[in-house]
Amino acid sequence: MPGFDFSNHTRNAALHARGMPLPKATSTGTTIVGCIYDGGVVIAADTRATSGPIVADKNCEKLHYIAPQIWCAGAGTAADTEFTTSLISSSLELHSLSTGRKPRVVTCMTLLKQHLFRHQGHIGAYLVVAGVDPTGVHLFTVHAHGSTDKLPYVTMGSGSLAAMAIFETMWKKNLTREEAIELCSQAIQAGIFNDLGSGSNVDVCVITEEKATLMRNYLTPNERMPKEQSYKFARGTTAYLKEVVIEKKDLKKYVTIVDLAASGAAADSMEIDA
Amino acid sequence: MRGVTVLKEEDDKTRTLNPHTLMAFSGEAGDTVQFAEYIQANVQLYGMRNNSKWQLSPSAVASFVRRELAKSLRSRKPYYVNLLIGGFDTNTNEPHLYWLDYLAASARTPYSAHGYAQYYCLSILDKHHNPNITLEEGQKLLRMCHEELVKRLPIDYKGLLVKVIRADGITELEL
Amino acid sequence: MSNPFSINGGAVVAMVGKDCVAIACDLRLGMQALTVSNDFPKIFNYGDVYLGLTGLATDVTTVSEMFRYKVNMYRLREERDIEPETMANLVSSSLYEKRFGPYFVSPVIAGINPHSQKPFVCGFDSIGCIDFAKDFIVSGTASDQLFGTCESLWEPDMEPEDLFETISQAMLNSVDRDALSGWGAHVYVITKDKVVKRLLKGRQD
Repeated sequence: MPGFDFSNHTRNAALHARGMPLPKATSTGTTIVGCIYDGGVVIAADTRATSGPIVADKNCEKLHYIAPQIWCAGAGTAADTEFTTSLISSSLELHSLSTGRKPRVVTCMTLLKQHLFRHQGHIGAYLVVAGVDPTGVHLFTVHAHGSTDKLPYVTMGSGSLAAMAIFETMWKKNLTREEAIELCSQAIQAGIFNDLGSGSNVDVCVITEEKATLMRNYLTPNERMPKEQSYKFARGTTAYLKEVVIEKKDLKKYVTIVDLAASGAAADSMEIDA
Repeated sequence: MRGVTVLKEEDDKTRTLNPHTLMAFSGEAGDTVQFAEYIQANVQLYGMRNNSKWQLSPSAVASFVRRELAKSLRSRKPYYVNLLIGGFDTNTNEPHLYWLDYLAASARTPYSAHGYAQYYCLSILDKHHNPNITLEEGQKLLRMCHEELVKRLPIDYKGLLVKVIRADGITELEL
Repeated sequence: MSNPFSINGGAVVAMVGKDCVAIACDLRLGMQALTVSNDFPKIFNYGDVYLGLTGLATDVTTVSEMFRYKVNMYRLREERDIEPETMANLVSSSLYEKRFGPYFVSPVIAGINPHSQKPFVCGFDSIGCIDFAKDFIVSGTASDQLFGTCESLWEPDMEPEDLFETISQAMLNSVDRDALSGWGAHVYVITKDKVVKRLLKGRQD
């Protein structure tokens, strides 16, 4: 399990006691949804990341890979969803390697809830976990405090009410793949247009018994209009007092870096990551 | 000072770290001298462990002090000390001045101050300081700062202790 | 004492151009409204990677020194320079390690990948959430203003010369609307075989 480093904590507690507010973290004031259909499961998310009232990222990724056929949609503190999912993805990979079996969605959900419960809600990750494993199709929600739900259709994040409104009016039993994708993207759009914390595009991931398909920017209902004119400044507009030009060849003058592939036949044919 | 009582009129709020580096300090009573003498001991220890002619440069001293202050900031009870570190680099023949606050923010500056003196003196120094200033002009400038502090500070200002750091060491100076 | 991100002030911006990237910072170091230094650069070089840091000055220095150590150790271990993408993950995990006692910094990375020659910029919040952008990244006390100027001035595929004008004007005009930033600026324009660093003439008020 990860070692959090608390070495700055006493200092920050002292600063906090002097009246300092907590730092603003990027949060995914978000709409995320999931829906089971006959033969698979769909999850979807918007792509807006906010920092207070500022849109920090207009096209971020909220659908996280856990295992080949388990994906996760994340809301809450962006760094927490990112690191929690990759941590669980890593331990699930090791687990499936040591057991020689495909990872199960319940295993993933249990690892997540135990990790989050251990941290008593301080890790602000709110997740929708979906996947297909040998035991069937699964869809869960996991809250930051460690509680979980198992439902045929779920929504989370600040736009969850808007999205749930869509599910509650349009959902029916025995959906087809296309109907499920349409329903999820409708729900996300409800979040995008009715919730200030959500916006931009729709990302969708469909998981079936065969494979998972990530459809990044499945819908782009908020494309920026191209600028009608160029606002380039004329070259030489900005006054500068000093200029230093550093050539790459001078930069490397004191350090010799030899490319292993280029060092001739003597070099071992070792694999270097690209 | 203890509350509103003046305890001593001529307290030396500086410590000599090595033959060419001097550190002036202000902040919480107790913390200041404790921290300054801890730094002094460690910089002198460095000089003793190595050749006495091979002392830490002013930039190295400032970097060391900053690190120690930054470490203290993350401890249970941090030192509340503001510092000015002056030094003459005998290798490059360059004078250095570093400004450090109790949060361990550090900056190399041509002139600086701490506490209320900042508000009175920095504007004077902004106007009259130049990069090639001589010692005599420097003294004159310090006198201007002194006069301003006497005139504007609402307390009975007890005056300045001036030390100058040159290639041949640190000496006290009458203003 | 208020917000640690706005005690000392400062601004950093990075932009992508055609086969080039640029990163700029202001030079002010202050304590609340009092300016202490007008020569406090906030961009640090680690081989092919440039790292901009805004926030609490003590953490700007501490974090820049920490990455100098980490990148040097990487160099010794791997016998190669760190790539911008790798650096982004190093910064992210180093910051998240301190999730419950963070450094008060908002880092920005700019660089060109030495293998693919692809320009790369990204930004982080103080606990390591990466913001991959294909256009620009802003940070610091003037970030609201920088969002505005960059959003209107930036356009795709600018040549290095045009990128310099755009990032410089975005920076100068933003910090002029922020009391805690300014007092001159450094701009780096990075191309695959050359880096040009310029000291901008900025307002001194």
